[in-house]
Amino acid sequence: MHEILIKNAFVIDPIQGIHGDIMDISVRDGRIVDKVSGTCEVIDAGGNLTLPGGIDSHTHVCGTKVNFGRYMSPEDMRAGRTPRRGAMYHTSGYTVPTTYGNSYRYSKMGYTTLLEGAMAPMEARHTHEEFAATPMQDMLANTLFDGNWNLFEAVGDKDIRQAAAVIGWTLSAVRGFGVKLTNPGGTEAWGFGDDLSSIDETVPNWDITPRDIIDTSIKACEFLHLPHSVHLHCNNLGMPGNYRTTLQTLDIPSDLNPDRQTLYLTHVQFHSYGGSTWGDISSEAEKVASSVNTKPQVVIDMGQVMFGRTMTMTADGPMEFRLYTLHHNKWSNHDVELETGSGVIPVYYSRKSPVNSIMWAIGLELALLVKNPWQCMLTTDNPNGAPFVKYPEIIGLLMSNLYREKELDQVHKLTTDRTSLGTIDRELSFEDIAVMTRAGQAKALGIIDQGKGHLKEGALADIAIYPVKPDQTDPSLQYEEVIGAFQQTLYTLKDGFVVNRDGEVIRGIPNRTFWVNANLPDDMDVMKSPRFVEKFSRYYSVDLENYMVQDDYVERGIEMNTHVA
Amino acid sequence: MMQVTLTMKPRAKPFLPIEAEMIVPMNFIGSRELFVWEGNKKRRLEDVFTVRKEGNVNSPENIVVILRGDTGRVKRVGEYMSSGIITIEGDIGMHCGNFMRGGNIVIHGNADGWLGREMRAGSILCHGNAGDYCGSGYRGEKRGMRGGKIEIMGDAGDYLGEYLTGGEIHVHGNAGMFAGAEMRGGTLKIDGDVRIPAANMSKGTCIIGGVAHEMLPTFEKTGEKNGMVVFHGDVANKGKGELMIRQVQENSALQ
Ligand SMILES: [Zn+2]
Repeated sequence: MHEILIKNAFVIDPIQGIHGDIMDISVRDGRIVDKVSGTCEVIDAGGNLTLPGGIDSHTHVCGTKVNFGRYMSPEDMRAGRTPRRGAMYHTSGYTVPTTYGNSYRYSKMGYTTLLEGAMAPMEARHTHEEFAATPMQDMLANTLFDGNWNLFEAVGDKDIRQAAAVIGWTLSAVRGFGVKLTNPGGTEAWGFGDDLSSIDETVPNWDITPRDIIDTSIKACEFLHLPHSVHLHCNNLGMPGNYRTTLQTLDIPSDLNPDRQTLYLTHVQFHSYGGSTWGDISSEAEKVASSVNTKPQVVIDMGQVMFGRTMTMTADGPMEFRLYTLHHNKWSNHDVELETGSGVIPVYYSRKSPVNSIMWAIGLELALLVKNPWQCMLTTDNPNGAPFVKYPEIIGLLMSNLYREKELDQVHKLTTDRTSLGTIDRELSFEDIAVMTRAGQAKALGIIDQGKGHLKEGALADIAIYPVKPDQTDPSLQYEEVIGAFQQTLYTLKDGFVVNRDGEVIRGIPNRTFWVNANLPDDMDVMKSPRFVEKFSRYYSVDLENYMVQDDYVERGIEMNTHVA
Repeated sequence: MMQVTLTMKPRAKPFLPIEAEMIVPMNFIGSRELFVWEGNKKRRLEDVFTVRKEGNVNSPENIVVILRGDTGRVKRVGEYMSSGIITIEGDIGMHCGNFMRGGNIVIHGNADGWLGREMRAGSILCHGNAGDYCGSGYRGEKRGMRGGKIEIMGDAGDYLGEYLTGGEIHVHGNAGMFAGAEMRGGTLKIDGDVRIPAANMSKGTCIIGGVAHEMLPTFEKTGEKNGMVVFHGDVANKGKGELMIRQVQENSALQ
């Protein structure tokens, strides 16, 4: 039996409705309990901010794309090197660190759960292998369906049940967690050198549109009772004027689920651009945020851009090609047979660039203009907008108008005219930040019942204690202290053990991978469908038996069992 | 003048690579302790080499470092060096002269792979053969050597001067496959034979004094100069490079 008592914790736990009480937290064998014995290990939190472990609901840390980012940037691998020390393996890399680099740095910031934003089913093994080498966090994998031919057939047939059968089978087969659509239909079109410019344009060779794919996937997701909703990277990412596509997409879902959103839109900063060219690009964050504000069925994440060097990586192949034509530097382009594709490109976001400055402002506008923090998660789409180590600075910007004004002075002058950032004086509270970095994410991902995102009795004892006393700190003036506090916890606990102390890794805990077993009834089992099996063997380059990810790859898998309606 | 002689001591496991990026002339000014890695063990320089210093100076251009003994597994010697001289009496391991910014390296034996990778200035003279990727960029880089000079008296391996961007490489012997692939500038001169030269070059000059085997069809013949055939390309990528060849192998796609 392993027990810990955390005393004098300034707890904010939005899921339980604890808004900043000084209290004690008892931990036994990895779970939060009511009481512990008198002889256990005691941690004095000293009135410092204590939150459930951080959750990132959209990040790229494991898998083929990420690894290709590593391959193609030896200069990045030379940055951020740390030698093996104590319980830590050596690390390297800054924008795309090694798995241990990612894991330790997230842990230092109090994060205990990460959702990999895009796993191609065919390449799932690589993702799971890297999950196993990310020792400080529990992992989940959003699984890509944006160009899945089996799904497309069901969409074409308007057959929600068949779409659900394909999705359910695939998630179980590759140990995936949620449904990710990246530029639905567009990545498939890219396989033929094309892209789609609207959600009502027909996908080449198919009689379906992105709208059909999104709509059917949402209904299939709900039919399967999946924990997470459809997780969507909208069409037209990064195109001036793309806010119209985003608004049209926001209008697709009706409210189908009482426990969480029906549609999750990721990195919405990249999808809130007005104007028609790079020369007249402007922010339409106000329109996008207004739409979100009227739709409780929608959750978004920011996709904040921060200045400096980073690496962009996405299944959105055509978008990366457009980016390549701007930079003519390194570019990777990848096709995943009947499923999806990807592209990887290094970028540098500069304060001197009007476009980059406007992008920076838009992310912040979204977070400040979406009224309900449960509807806007804090992300950079790591590392696309910036490496996740920039999160504390984003927290500072959201909590302090003064800091924003100072930064706004440093960026390109056009930002003031082309965005509304300078006119917003809202300052987020510690509780808002707690929602946007863990509680909201647990709700959006549907993992509250797995003991994530809160400190209720029975919850997993994932806890972050930050060196800041909220009752004695004014974030709007003391933003530097706040940033420092979020950069490095006093303690990060995972599963009831101190895993990080003052930035030093104390130990790794064998991590978990949450995956969904859809428990499809016999008549929905695609493996029993001769048509499916025949098509698979004809069009895939691997055999069906070899496609399935073996249990060895998810030794510490947590099977989330769902059942169809 | 100051002369530093590093003589390799006998090693229990001589095949273990030694990471020795600290062997640059500047580091021998003063008496600070220097470390290398032998496999996964950190070692004092004195544990691996017998170190003899003669003379005392306070600027690196007057320092000569001599490596003696079995140094064929010693890697990254001269990495980022900016001045002074390194003389290697035998063979040298991979990545010698990485990112070199000045000074001279002389190798009396053979050099392993990645000699002068991404060097900016200075010179390297190798009396023996050089391995693969001499003067190239590392995997994932878009620019190789950008300045300075590399001279190889013997042969070079594959991917000689890949992504060569500036400076000059001169190989007196033969080169392997893909010499000058992705060249974007500089001059690559090979006195002997090559195989599939200058693929996808966009700029620069590549001169082949011997026979070019398996010549790519994507070069445009523009004339003759000094008894050599002059080509322009690689047209597959709208390249504006110059490729001069003494003799194109018969039955190449292009003659
Ligand atoms: Zn993403």
